[in-house]
This record gives sequence, C-alpha cells and structure tokens, in this order.
Amino acid sequence: MSGSARLLRLSIPLVRTHGFTREALARSVLDLPPSEVHSTPLSDSAVSALFGTGDLARKALIRAWLDDGICHIQSQPTGSTLREVLRARLEFNEPVLRHLPEAFALLASPTYGLPPLDPRPALRHSFNIADEACHVTGDASLQVRKPDDSDYSSSNHVQLEWYERRGSLAAIYTASELHQMTSPKTAYDFLDSLLTGSSNLKSSLNEVSIFSSYFVKSCVGIVKSSGIL
Amino acid sequence: MLRLSLTVRVPLRRVAPWSRSLSSQSPSLPPSPEKPAPRTASFGFRTVPEESKETLVKEVFDSVASKYDLMNDATSFGVHRFWKDSYVSSLKPGRRGPLRCIDVAGGTGDIALRILDFARENYADRETTVAVADINAQMLKEGYRRFKKTMYHNTPQISFHEANAQALPVEVFPDNTFDLYTIAFGIRNCTSIPDVLKEAHRVLKPGGTFACLEFSRVNNPLLSTLYDQYSFTMIPLLGTILAGDRNSYQYLVESIRKFPPQPEFARMIRDVGFTTGDDVDGGAWEDMWGGIACVHKGVKL
Repeated sequence: MSGSARLLRLSIPLVRTHGFTREALARSVLDLPPSEVHSTPLSDSAVSALFGTGDLARKALIRAWLDDGICHIQSQPTGSTLREVLRARLEFNEPVLRHLPEAFALLASPTYGLPPLDPRPALRHSFNIADEACHVTGDASLQVRKPDDSDYSSSNHVQLEWYERRGSLAAIYTASELHQMTSPKTAYDFLDSLLTGSSNLKSSLNEVSIFSSYFVKSCVGIVKSSGIL
Repeated sequence: MLRLSLTVRVPLRRVAPWSRSLSSQSPSLPPSPEKPAPRTASFGFRTVPEESKETLVKEVFDSVASKYDLMNDATSFGVHRFWKDSYVSSLKPGRRGPLRCIDVAGGTGDIALRILDFARENYADRETTVAVADINAQMLKEGYRRFKKTMYHNTPQISFHEANAQALPVEVFPDNTFDLYTIAFGIRNCTSIPDVLKEAHRVLKPGGTFACLEFSRVNNPLLSTLYDQYSFTMIPLLGTILAGDRNSYQYLVESIRKFPPQPEFARMIRDVGFTTGDDVDGGAWEDMWGGIACVHKGVKL
C-alpha cells in the first residue's frame, strides 16, 4: 500500500470527528505506528502534495470512505439477504451522517465549472453498492449462455435483467440514503417498504411485459394476414 | 540579516571502484586488475567524466548569470514567471504559520522572493525564512543584488549560502530542520539527482514538503515537435544574440531532454524515502503546459 493510501485509511476514522476535511487528512499522521508517529499534523502544503490542492484532497478522502463502505458490504456474512446487506450499508453511514450531505454535494460539484452539477459520482456510488450487494447475495441474473437461434432473445433478456436488477437496487438504495439524511430513524423501515414494493412491481411489470408481447405478436399476425405486408 | 556565507564545499562522495578478476591463460600468474570503467554523467547530449560535470555546469552558469533573467524572459516569452508564480502559490507558504524554507539552486532569488512575498501579502506572515543555497557564486551574487532592492534585505528572513546541493554542509543545514525544500529549474544540472534528493530528505523535518519545478517530458506528439523545433533553433540563437553565448544555451536545451520523465523522477523521489501521490498527472506530479514544465512533490513522513 502506498504511503498516501495508508494515510487515507488512517484518515477514515477521523471523519466522524473532523468531517471530510483536509484537517482529517492532516491529522492522519498522528495515528501512525509509534515508530513513525508525528507530533504535529501535516502542513497544508504536505496535504496538497499528497492528496491534491483545495477540494481535491477532500474528494480523495470521500472516495476512500466510499470504498471502505464497499469493503463493509463485502464483509457481510455469507448467506445474507439483500435486505440485510443494504441495511448494513445504511448503518455504515450513521457515524458520519451529518457530514454526508456536504460530501455528496462536493462530489457532485464539477472540477472545472461545467457542467453545473456532475451526477456521475452519485450514480457510480449507488450502482457500485447495488452491484456489490448483488454479488454478495449471490445474484445469478447474469447466466452465461451460448446464444443460438432459439435462445437469442432469452440471453438478451438475461443481460437486460442484470441491468434492471442493479438499476432498481441502486434507485432503492439512493432513495433510502436520501431518506436517512433527513429522517435517520425511519430509514430502515423505508428501505424495507421499497424492497417489498419493488418485488411487487417487478412481478407486475413482468406480467405487463408478457401481455404486451402477446398483443404485439397478435397485431403483427393480423397485419400479415390482411396482405398489407 | 542578509548574509552571503561561504561554506566549505564537501567533495562529491566517491564510491570505491569495483574490480573484476580476469581468468588468466597461465594459472601461475596473478590476475591483473582491470581499470574500473570511469563514471560518467551527461552534460546535455555529451557524456563527460562525472568529476568534470560540476565544473562544466559552473562555467555555464558563470557565463549566463548576469543575463539569466533576461534570457528566461526572452526564451519563454515571460511564461517562466507564470510557472514560478503557480509553483509557489500551490505551496501556500505561510498559510498555517511561518515556515523555514530552503531554496536550492536558487541563486538569483526568484523563488525565495516569491515565497516571502506570498506569505506576506496573503497571510501577513513576516516570520517565514528562506535560506538560498547555490553552488555558483555568480548566481548568488545576482540574487543578493536583487534582494538589496527589497524590504527583506538585512532581515533574518533571507540568507544566501554557497553550497553543493548534493552535499549540503551539516553545520549550516542540519538534519530535520526545514519545513519546505524548493528547487526550481536546477536539479537537472546536478551530477547526481539521487544525492540531491537524499540531501533534501535529510534536511527536511518529518512532515516537510519537497517541491521541484523542472522542465519535463512533453507527451503530446504535436506539442513535442513544436517544442523541440523551438528549443533547438530559437533558444541557442537567442543565447547568441542576447548573451553572446550559444554553447551555454545549447547545453541548457539539451539538458532538458536528458532529464528523466515524470514517472521515473517520481520513483526516484520515493526511492529516497519521500511519500508522493499516485503516479498520475495531478498526483505525484503536475504538468504545466503539457509537460513543458512540471512540479513534482513529496512529503517526508
């Protein structure tokens, strides 16, 4: 692990007291092993040299904390359900909850002024969590099949399902996390209600999709038999 | 107090030459030792004995000292000022209190003056100090003259020392002394870059920052071609016209091409014990103008 990566890891526990700030990064050297510990925090120029100037250093710390969140998901016991994994990730937010709105706003703010807001970090964050949660719970929506003439549409369907699953989980987690920032006590119930609603929604959508495909096939058959095509 | 101190120049460290034993056709004869291969260094595109590089570089800077600032302005169209301003402002000296700084190969005082002005104007800091060290007395003399025109003359904030960057005298530059070590457009002229880096590591305090501004590798092929054309035609020509010394400026241009590229120099900085950012632009180094100039930084942990 590089020196700067090591200091980032040491900074993560300091986020709860100092927030996602350069101060947390500067104080990381106070937590080095006794043989290497410093008596004073790093200077501003040292923090800039290691992590970047201005808010770049803070963004590096936020990204390190988010990666630590992914590791927290990976450490969930085998056989955990999706609900348990996502709840664990929400619990991971609790010690630093008051700092999160500013952190996400900082991630969304562009480096060079345009565009005014950059949604990609937020999307990446929620999609990574959804993907990791599916992986930990043994999601098998992406089955590797050789497409042949009869199976081609179903392998496309499998690939779409992979994206659908992660997309819906990302949306559920994002909504739960936003809810947690405003109403932490009800966040877990909100997550449960969304997960329940999502499975109901999925089955409803499947039925609609099947009916729609029959309807389309019927229309095509009628048009063909009328001799227009 | 503005003082120009002459320090004893410690000779370059010499490594005992290694010897090889040769197989002899007559087993009874003792093997005759071969002469060790002479250690060489690059002087621009030429390869010269290591011992003579220092003298050659000294001659170059003795020659260019009086017109150094003029030539910098002429050859870079004043852009070097922007690079140096950007370099110093990225370090933010004085933001968190006064710093003890050392500016090596900073004979004419460019960087030292910027550091003191930045700390004063932005943070009302009049306690930050800069020790300027340069191997070349002529360059130091130019720096001393420059500072005589400023408010820092005769104050403890600035001092000038004739010293070798590869072997800074311990009595003047003890271990773990400085908060900030700067070297701008000077390290490529040193015979042994690792020795300079080791000395930088020695004199910095734990938590201290090393920052090097230097010409570097341009990776964009189009920009690189234009830059090469300009460097090898215009700069020596300007040297002839403005300073009457083509060869010195030819050396300066060639020495830029021999300097290690950004990742390699970052690795050399880490090899002596500094911690750097990641090996990308914006991490361990920051390119300016596509890599024409580059700032490498490291922290002593």
